[in-house]
Amino acid sequence: MIDEKRIEELVREAIRSLSISGKEVKSSYNPKQNVSLEDYPLGLKKPNLIKTATGKSLDELSLEGVLNGQVSKDDLKISPETLELQAQIAEQAGRVQVARNFRRAAELNVIPDERILQIYNALRPYRSTKQELLDIASELETKYNAVLNAAHVREAAEVYESRGVLRRE
Amino acid sequence: MKRSKRFQVLEQRPVNQDGFVEEWPEVGLIAMGSPNDPKPSITVQNGKVVEMDGKKRADFDFIDRFIADYALDVEKAEEVMKIPSVELAKMLVDINIPRSQVVSCFGAMTPAKIVEVVEHLNVVEMMMAVQKMRARKTPSNQCHITNVKDHPALLAADAAEGAWRGFDEEETTVGVTRYAPFNALAILVGSQTGRGGVLTQCAVEEATELTLGMRGLTSYAETVSVYGTEQVFIDGDDTPWSKAFLASAYASRGLKMRFTSGTGSEVLMGYAEGKSMLYLEARCILVTKGAGVQGLQNGSISCIGVPGAVPSGIRAVLAENLITTALDLEVASGNDQTFSHSDIRRTARMLMQLLPGTDFIFSGYSAVPNYDNMFAGSNFDCEDFDDFLVLQRDLKVDGGLRPVKEEDVIRVRNKAAKALQAVFKELGLPPITDEEVEAVTYAHGSKDVPNRNVREDLKAAEEMMQRGITGLEVVKALAKNGFIDVAENLFQLLKQRVSGDYLHTSAIFDKNFKVLSAVNDLNDYQGPGTGYRLEGQRWEEIKKIPRAMKPDDF
Repeated sequence: MIDEKRIEELVREAIRSLSISGKEVKSSYNPKQNVSLEDYPLGLKKPNLIKTATGKSLDELSLEGVLNGQVSKDDLKISPETLELQAQIAEQAGRVQVARNFRRAAELNVIPDERILQIYNALRPYRSTKQELLDIASELETKYNAVLNAAHVREAAEVYESRGVLRRE
Repeated sequence: MKRSKRFQVLEQRPVNQDGFVEEWPEVGLIAMGSPNDPKPSITVQNGKVVEMDGKKRADFDFIDRFIADYALDVEKAEEVMKIPSVELAKMLVDINIPRSQVVSCFGAMTPAKIVEVVEHLNVVEMMMAVQKMRARKTPSNQCHITNVKDHPALLAADAAEGAWRGFDEEETTVGVTRYAPFNALAILVGSQTGRGGVLTQCAVEEATELTLGMRGLTSYAETVSVYGTEQVFIDGDDTPWSKAFLASAYASRGLKMRFTSGTGSEVLMGYAEGKSMLYLEARCILVTKGAGVQGLQNGSISCIGVPGAVPSGIRAVLAENLITTALDLEVASGNDQTFSHSDIRRTARMLMQLLPGTDFIFSGYSAVPNYDNMFAGSNFDCEDFDDFLVLQRDLKVDGGLRPVKEEDVIRVRNKAAKALQAVFKELGLPPITDEEVEAVTYAHGSKDVPNRNVREDLKAAEEMMQRGITGLEVVKALAKNGFIDVAENLFQLLKQRVSGDYLHTSAIFDKNFKVLSAVNDLNDYQGPGTGYRLEGQRWEEIKKIPRAMKPDDF
């Protein structure tokens, strides 16, 4: 029987380690500034840090701008840098996995909608051969510098092979 | 046998139209604690899980592997797994132990351990735990907006009313699949007419759902299902890797999303592997955590008939909500399918989430008549609105809704229908007539509105997608036709994806588009006087149901 004190110690230690376990994954986007929990919501507290995928600032996005044609649909897209900032927020909130997801998202940001949908479908069971998945991984890496996603797809290829969910020819 | 008149009366009671079944572990018809559930265990070597819940790494299926590699905090797992389950269970209800401590322990537990811990709790303890563990401090609610005819103007009117009544998220789906773009568009316009900042989604096949989101016709997604056995996951046409990729794809476009799972789905799909429903659900929740998705819709969802039929099944449904919160995920906690013929039973089932409060108590509450609910009904519907408001008032609990005036509801319904009429005209879609606007303004359901030319609608919906219509064209159409405030709301909603603040756990918007999430509104419940308290303006609002007599009336 572990006593109450011991449990408390364990828990405290668990918390300490949690705050430092976000170490491994860093995306290829390095915004000039880092943010902390107090900066959230960024749109309200740090609007100057946010640029759209097309480089516009938040103030430039107004209904008037839409109506006079100065704001297009591409101006309403999040940028990889913003996703990295949000990953930092998630990490500081103790949400390591959410941060990782946002960093994978930062890499996918530049990939066209159509290609994203194709890759998703290729990852579904029995859709791809191992080589096809490996080719996607290389494309992600070389064409889009999406290293985290390339690793994700490579791992999928390996798992799918061992679990028999590759396309059967 | 000569029949007892009492038994004959009881036979006629609604509850006796419900189905019940004894536990049958071999096929997975057992809520929790199947004799076939694995015993909790873990072995970590060189930072890698080499054994989990009695299974060696070489024998892992893809779910085990995903959980072991992405969901579990391997550095702490061995230590936390040594803590007796009953002690961990006590931490859940101990007001002196803050939420963050419990979260860090749950993040280091295997599925079997998690289930063993929550099995120690009765439903009152589970509710206490949910009150402490839900991620967002402020509770909220989501509704369904659908109708049998997929009538766009009626969808817009109902979405406006739903938003006006207080729902923070609205979900639609289709009767006819090809109607999806119209349904998404209709509730988008309707919701922003009722209240700016309400999030909307259209539940359809995964790739279509993503496309609608990318186009700005929805603002979040939820119908992204995960399952607890490998075979059922494959039958659902996905793997943890494809689903994790999909999750990142949504975030890459600045769109909020959550996964969906629920007890009973594996039984229904025939591959429960003899495991208990809750054990399999714990695996789903951990897959969600591992994928880095901010939240999960669970609470059996469309499979509620299965846990609803076995002993302690509704307790297991609450337990799955609880596990989700303890893993620091947003929970949209079910109550979203017709569950029982008995009003007593469906209310009791709902109280498990209403009383402690969850991120979304219903996912969703049918804001339309049950006959119009295309998710096969919901546990509560629009005919229960006043009962629900009285329950909030009786018990002083916040279920997310507010009393409304008939004239206000008529006004927002009419405005939403007219706004959509203008959008349809501007985008060259089949016209919405003035007669339709009038009908949906005063309608209760689709029986009260004229039929549309379905073939023409479907053709136009398809063309709308081919033409690449986005939310921005809708904004322009609204503004051009004088619906400036609706256009502004919709534009603000689209703009939110640029800053990405609402990608975070349990995010919703208030009417000023201020984001409220488990980052800036983190639940800090630690007993009486802490956490979310129903008081001030919000309590005044809930108190004032229109039918209450005032002192002046006497």
